[in-house]
Amino acid sequence: MSILEIAAILIIIVTILVWRITWLAGRLHRATRRTEHTWSALDTALVGRARHAAELVKMPGIDPATALLVLDAAAVALEPDLCQVDRERAESDLSHVLDMIDPMLPISPNGLGPERGRASLCRRLHNDAVATALFLRRRSTVRILRLAGRTAEPRPFEMEDGSICALTVIMREAEN
Amino acid sequence: MVCPYSFDVPGGVQNHVLGLARYLRQSGHRPYVLAPGELGPSAAALDLEDFASAGASMPVPYNGSVARVNFGPLSAARVRRWLRSGKFDLVHIHEPITPSISLLALWAAEQPVVATFHTATPRSRSMQLASGVLRAAIEKIDAGIAVSESARNVVVQHLGRDAVVIPNGIRFHDFAGWSPMRDESPPPQQPRLIFIGRLDEPRKGLDVLLAALPLIKQARPDLQVIVAGQGSRPLPPGCRNLGTVTEQAKIALLGSADVLVAPQLARESFGLVLLEAMASGVPIVASDLPPFVDLLGDRQDDRRLGEVFTVGDHRALALAVVRVLDQPDPMRAARAQHAARNYDWSQVGTTVLAIYRAALSAAPARRASRGAG
Repeated sequence: MSILEIAAILIIIVTILVWRITWLAGRLHRATRRTEHTWSALDTALVGRARHAAELVKMPGIDPATALLVLDAAAVALEPDLCQVDRERAESDLSHVLDMIDPMLPISPNGLGPERGRASLCRRLHNDAVATALFLRRRSTVRILRLAGRTAEPRPFEMEDGSICALTVIMREAEN
Repeated sequence: MVCPYSFDVPGGVQNHVLGLARYLRQSGHRPYVLAPGELGPSAAALDLEDFASAGASMPVPYNGSVARVNFGPLSAARVRRWLRSGKFDLVHIHEPITPSISLLALWAAEQPVVATFHTATPRSRSMQLASGVLRAAIEKIDAGIAVSESARNVVVQHLGRDAVVIPNGIRFHDFAGWSPMRDESPPPQQPRLIFIGRLDEPRKGLDVLLAALPLIKQARPDLQVIVAGQGSRPLPPGCRNLGTVTEQAKIALLGSADVLVAPQLARESFGLVLLEAMASGVPIVASDLPPFVDLLGDRQDDRRLGEVFTVGDHRALALAVVRVLDQPDPMRAARAQHAARNYDWSQVGTTVLAIYRAALSAAPARRASRGAG
């Protein structure tokens, strides 16, 4: 084999390698970007849920003790600069409180159904996106070449949605 | 919306796409549909200008049935051109991992992608071989939908993604509103058993029903049997074959039936026929495939919305049919009909729209809303 032939083969191999790495980096970039978007969607949905819960207790017919309970849970969840673990706990607590007062609330349009459904749906999409990003980050090529750069590793948002599943809630929203 | 199967022939996925498109238009959105082949008469509900053909399709064996799909560089270019026509804010791809325009669309899409998984059993061998390619395509889905828990399990286990379960929709009032006109032939005392599904596909289980017929006839010699579906095969005397029926004829057939038998053996992901029978108020005898049992509700036998029997057991099927014919239970049929109301497009469609909204908010911001592809 002449030097020219070896060089040609080497060039081809390098091209394929570079192409594959670029491709993988593109996938990683897309997955990471999606986790950022799903997170901001989830954040918005959770804030919407807590705000709406706080609004709701101002309605006539809700006793002050219940109102205080809900307001407190909503206020903790809305606190800025919570670390993720604390926020997860606060949102789960809010879910529990909302489960307890759910029977007292009127059904949509003023009930909490749609907000809770949206939050739960956004959370599923976010955790799904995070799982995809993590899968890519753990590939050996990505780790060895540090394709992920210095972006922080995304984390799934673990909280309890409460007893109402997204589907039934959105269905109920449709009925009203 | 991208539908991998041609509208020339009726089918579950096609009906789903048409029903959803109609719902979306009624609620003020503009759906565009890309599918192989031409618009058949069954797709009359679809506007011609909103439909794009991906070219002629070829019959290929896939997942135990013969699917008419298309692929190749020409189709890929067509799909890409369609997606780049700039009309869409969101692409909804049905059956995204079949070798078809759906997979091509998933590859080429730059819009946010919602994907609906209709089947419960992908072929794991070919999936493993192509896993690198598939994996990259599957990563592009922003929000996944599965039509049943069984379909979702496949997505979670084989594809490593999550999916929200949204059942198939039906036009409930088409089925429930049909008033039986059975005063002509046959006389009402002659019970009528129906089977709807492909005749030439073993997994649809017609063989189980045919094996059970002699047993049923012992108890009910006057039984009339009607089968409707694609394909041809020899049938015993006393069975009438209607062949492929239109949607309208199917509704009429269901309205005139005394019992619907769904003897499917495997690979059913939802059971649309069951749902349509429920909406029509027809008593049901079905095999105990998980999606069927889910559709029929309660796990306890006495609360269930129809009779179930062990898959493939023709004796149990015969017993169940005779039970249904001898002791009609109008209350159960009414309960089933009531349950089917939840699957009307007005309900199911709202849930799909909620997923669209979530997918749009999860994907990078683009321009103002114009339509769904």
